[in-house]
Amino acid sequence: MEHYLLLIISAALVSNVVLMRFLGLCSFMGVTTRVDTALGMGASTTFCITISAMIDWGVERFLLEPYDLGYLRTVAFILVIAAAVQFTEAVVRKVSPSMFQLLGIYLPLITTNCAVLGVNLLLVEGKMNFIESTVFALASSLGYSLVMVLFAGLRERLALCQVPRLFAGPPIGFITASLLALAFMGFSGMSTN
Amino acid sequence: MREADSSFSDADGLDMIEGFARVVAVEDGRIWLEPEVTASCGSCSSVGLCSIGKDAGAARKLAARRFELPGDLGLRVGERVVVGVRDDTLVKGAMTAYGIPLLTILAGGIAGQEWGGTDGMAALGALGGLITGLLIARVMANSLTARGILTPRFLRRSFDPPSDAGCHE
Repeated sequence: MEHYLLLIISAALVSNVVLMRFLGLCSFMGVTTRVDTALGMGASTTFCITISAMIDWGVERFLLEPYDLGYLRTVAFILVIAAAVQFTEAVVRKVSPSMFQLLGIYLPLITTNCAVLGVNLLLVEGKMNFIESTVFALASSLGYSLVMVLFAGLRERLALCQVPRLFAGPPIGFITASLLALAFMGFSGMSTN
Repeated sequence: MREADSSFSDADGLDMIEGFARVVAVEDGRIWLEPEVTASCGSCSSVGLCSIGKDAGAARKLAARRFELPGDLGLRVGERVVVGVRDDTLVKGAMTAYGIPLLTILAGGIAGQEWGGTDGMAALGALGGLITGLLIARVMANSLTARGILTPRFLRRSFDPPSDAGCHE
């Protein structure tokens, strides 16, 4: 169990997908103007990353690796991610139409989120077994959601501050993101992946 | 939905997440609304994939997101209104739709790995966990819907924005 705990801390905080690996920056800057949108996007992405990582593990293990089809990895993984997003959309709509009204808006944005593909490619690099892959994907996406919500909270506060005109909008957002990244560097002494 | 600028509290004093919608039909006292497309949709990098920002697919996508407001509010077709949900609704919804299945996937996967000792058993356990989680999520979502927690509420009428108004996102 300690192994899984270290994997979670490492994936979520030490090697954070946004602030350390610089993946998913488009949604990081684009969907973090409000905490509630950041939370919705984070939750949807977490689910899709985990589901696609589980399927991609099978694709890599039983198709790409045995038949030496590594050159098709990116295309195959993108197909799986698109299918996982469609599956999630269908499931949420089926589970609760009201819930779909609330959360369905974020799902199409996930297909082009490079964080999803990035996490899946990192899993191949890490040569993990099924459960390690699932835990790593879940923890990575929880780290993504955590950073999204933290950053959205900071931006909501920044919106109430008087910022010099030259820095208003995206510039102060990038400066805040860099300070957040520096803060997350503090975790780098805890564990390595 | 585009968020309205002002905040609003419900009867319990909780803040609301607000959005604009337009009345598209009034049938037998039931009011049907469609959420407005945000101005930022057209500039999003996923616009090629997402049909919300495109003319051809927009109507179909918006029709899929059509929702109903209960009660006789005296609204007419074409009217623009502000609707809202309590700000804890999104957390409850996300935890129900995504949190529960993820927890059961993890629990099923770890149980499969511990008992079976192979990746195949872990994958089977995770699949079982996913199905169980979705069933639990469905029951809980039905409960939330029955209590009206997920249903948007009518807050106030809204005027059409000026033509040069943009989304501040």
